[in-house]
Amino acid sequence: MKSGNSGAAAFQQVLALASNTFKEATRSRVFYILLAFAVCLLMFSSAMGFLAIGSIRRVILDMGLSTVSYFSAMTAIFVGIGLIYHEIERKTIYNILSKPVSRTSFLVGRYVGLMAVLLVNLAAMTVALQIVLSVFGSFTPRVFVAAGYIYLELLILTAVALFFSSVSSPVVSALCTVAFYLIGHTSSALPELLVPFLSSLWAKRLVIGLYHILPDLNLLSINNLVVHEIPTAPGFAMRALLYTVFTVGILLLAAALAFKKRDLV
Amino acid sequence: MDEALLLKGVEKTFRGHLSIGSHHVLRGVTLTVPRGLIYGFLGPNGAGKTTTLKIVTGLLFPDAGEVSILGQGLGDGSVRARIGFLPETPYFYDYLTGHELLTFMGRLLGIPSPRLVERIPVLLRAVGLLGKEKLQLRKYSKGMLQRIGLAQALLNDPDLVILDEPTSGLDPIGRREIRDLILELRAQGKTVFFSSHILADAEMICDQVAILIRGKVVQEGPLEDLLGGEIQFWDVTVRGAAGMVPPPGCSVLTRLGTQVLIRVDREEVLQDLIDRSRAEGASVRGVVPHKISLEDLFMSHVPGEGSR
Repeated sequence: MKSGNSGAAAFQQVLALASNTFKEATRSRVFYILLAFAVCLLMFSSAMGFLAIGSIRRVILDMGLSTVSYFSAMTAIFVGIGLIYHEIERKTIYNILSKPVSRTSFLVGRYVGLMAVLLVNLAAMTVALQIVLSVFGSFTPRVFVAAGYIYLELLILTAVALFFSSVSSPVVSALCTVAFYLIGHTSSALPELLVPFLSSLWAKRLVIGLYHILPDLNLLSINNLVVHEIPTAPGFAMRALLYTVFTVGILLLAAALAFKKRDLV
Repeated sequence: MDEALLLKGVEKTFRGHLSIGSHHVLRGVTLTVPRGLIYGFLGPNGAGKTTTLKIVTGLLFPDAGEVSILGQGLGDGSVRARIGFLPETPYFYDYLTGHELLTFMGRLLGIPSPRLVERIPVLLRAVGLLGKEKLQLRKYSKGMLQRIGLAQALLNDPDLVILDEPTSGLDPIGRREIRDLILELRAQGKTVFFSSHILADAEMICDQVAILIRGKVVQEGPLEDLLGGEIQFWDVTVRGAAGMVPPPGCSVLTRLGTQVLIRVDREEVLQDLIDRSRAEGASVRGVVPHKISLEDLFMSHVPGEGSR
């Protein structure tokens, strides 16, 4: 369906939808409970550093960044899978799409709104981690950089959840998005684990080809580098950014195409 | 172009998974809604009214047929800027206040802020919610939700207003207010297309109606033409006629003491009954003529459904 919108009008609609999505989250008690839970979890896991043998700072960083990373990912997945489905189920979408709002603007608006919510969530957790580190005299500015890379991963995960949410139920969406997350964090080990044991050139090519098709979320993570104080390779940031932009672009396009002709029963 | 809305042979089937359990909802719906009128789209529950309205508003896609809205095809999404839609039992974001909802919807419609600042109080007053706009929608009653729904449907000053069961679930006062608002919209030159199964409301305000039964329009036209002006029968109340035998062509509906309610279906028999009552010393207390009602017309198209 042609939207008939000018670019400026579509942009205004995306902003209105994003701001409403943000309002929806921040007016929900669940948001604050989750945030408080995340900060408490972070403090607890950091405090566990005292029990560990070795550098307290390193253990706090390791456990803290892992907590921030996993908790943000789970929030992105479980909020993202209901982003479109709940609008249809609660019939609130009828009032929006019966107006001159294209379905693509609707999807993008919801996506941008959730990304704003996740940014606030991530910022709160990162600041909490930095406070814990500062208490031990180890203020680590690179934690903010690591959080930036975690946010890139959230951009991708939310786009995956949005895609599945626009074509299926929350249960199927959750399973598929969690599968994407797990594959994304293990696929980089595939060539290392399998290629040395393969004798056939074709089998080796197949495994490497498969690795290039599968998502690789480790391309976006610098948590280990920050913990062990290893600098990132030149061009790492640009590669991560391009990978994110390309993957999010493909996923949003696929979601828009799938949603374009969907009957809203 | 005189039509506000034109549907020609619209078909819709909902298919289950793997095409099992298909449900053929619309079977060639054809209707014409002229501009500037109130058009009632009537039918029992499950007839396909909401499906038709969802197709018109772009929420569903027809399998076949043509739809033209204000002279534009369904494919042109910009036409939705000229229509206002109130869904059946409207669902809104309940964390928003009434004012926030109207502001949000206004931004989606691309209405500039200064215009919204002027328009929102006018609409709130029109729907009787001025002073309630700071309340969150979760605190609104069903009637208030219906009215804020109507306000958001009118934000863009639409040429065509589409309302799905606007009076359903409202108390008599709420129903009357919505009816008055619909009449006011017609007075402003707007076209109102509304679905309903509350025939009394439709009969009071509609200029034209279409009756949809099992996905097919079985009758369409101006209400006056469909109902006709002829009297179908008279109900006559006679007092002091306990022993009176009514003339042939009459049927006694009830007896209460010496008062009898008699139904007469021919004018000459009515005169005969009045003469005979007077001759026997009884008094005729009332003669009520009955024309065919919308309900009669409606029920004539749903044999077997009337007994439900």
